[in-house]
Amino acid sequence: MRAMIIDDSRAMRSILRRIVSNLDFETTEAEHGQAALDLLQAGDVPDLCLVDWNMPVMDGYTFITQVRANPAWRDITLMMVTTESEQRQIVRALAAGAHEYVIKPFTPDAIVDKLALLGLLPEGHEVPA
Amino acid sequence: MTPELDDVLAVTEDVWTALLGETAPLVPRGVPAGTPFDATGAWSAATTVSGGWPGVVTVELDETVARQLTARMLDLPADATGDGDIADAVGELVNMVGGNIKSLMPGPSVLSLPSVAAGRAAFASDVVEACRLDLLWQGAPLRVSVHVPA
Repeated sequence: MRAMIIDDSRAMRSILRRIVSNLDFETTEAEHGQAALDLLQAGDVPDLCLVDWNMPVMDGYTFITQVRANPAWRDITLMMVTTESEQRQIVRALAAGAHEYVIKPFTPDAIVDKLALLGLLPEGHEVPA
Repeated sequence: MTPELDDVLAVTEDVWTALLGETAPLVPRGVPAGTPFDATGAWSAATTVSGGWPGVVTVELDETVARQLTARMLDLPADATGDGDIADAVGELVNMVGGNIKSLMPGPSVLSLPSVAAGRAAFASDVVEACRLDLLWQGAPLRVSVHVPA
């Protein structure tokens, strides 16, 4: 499976890359929503996008609405991974088409749990106890 | 309205543990009010909250702390981290601390992108310090402060 990590922080992309690589995901990265859309339009369509909210150029919420507006990308699972933790914003993101929502800071197990809930945990990997 | 110091400490400890693991605890440090951050080499980062609760959350770190944080986040040796790496990591740190402090306050509010500097933080003249947390990590200082409009 393939995951696209969309976050303006290289350090955060590195943390997320290590987590999903340990689950045997192949990864690509984008530093904001527009760069991620460019990758999608170029045919780099992953199974999963891990999306920060607060980014320059195009934020994560706008990215999600753009992805959901394109039927060709309807199979992409969208997981917000963000410090944005106001209930109103979480509801907004889920209503726009995000499947799951993880608030920073997170543990690797929290990401694994969410992937398991989404049915994206590859065979051979277990949900943390 | 200002955040409670205990809440700021809890947020900082949560973020710190998530990023650095249980390597060493953050130790509270008594520093008289008005004392500038006293690290020899420092990094600082700030994020502004606007909306239901306006405020500025700032993190200042001793250079060795900033470098170790960066090394852990990027999975690099500490001596392999450059200034750009540190700026990125410290920016993400204040983003996480600021975002979680924002969530404790009345909303709706919006968090700005972080601004990061090599050196101590500078504060605008139209804000006042509402809350300050001085800590030590492995003997080196860091400070989290919250400023609100005067």
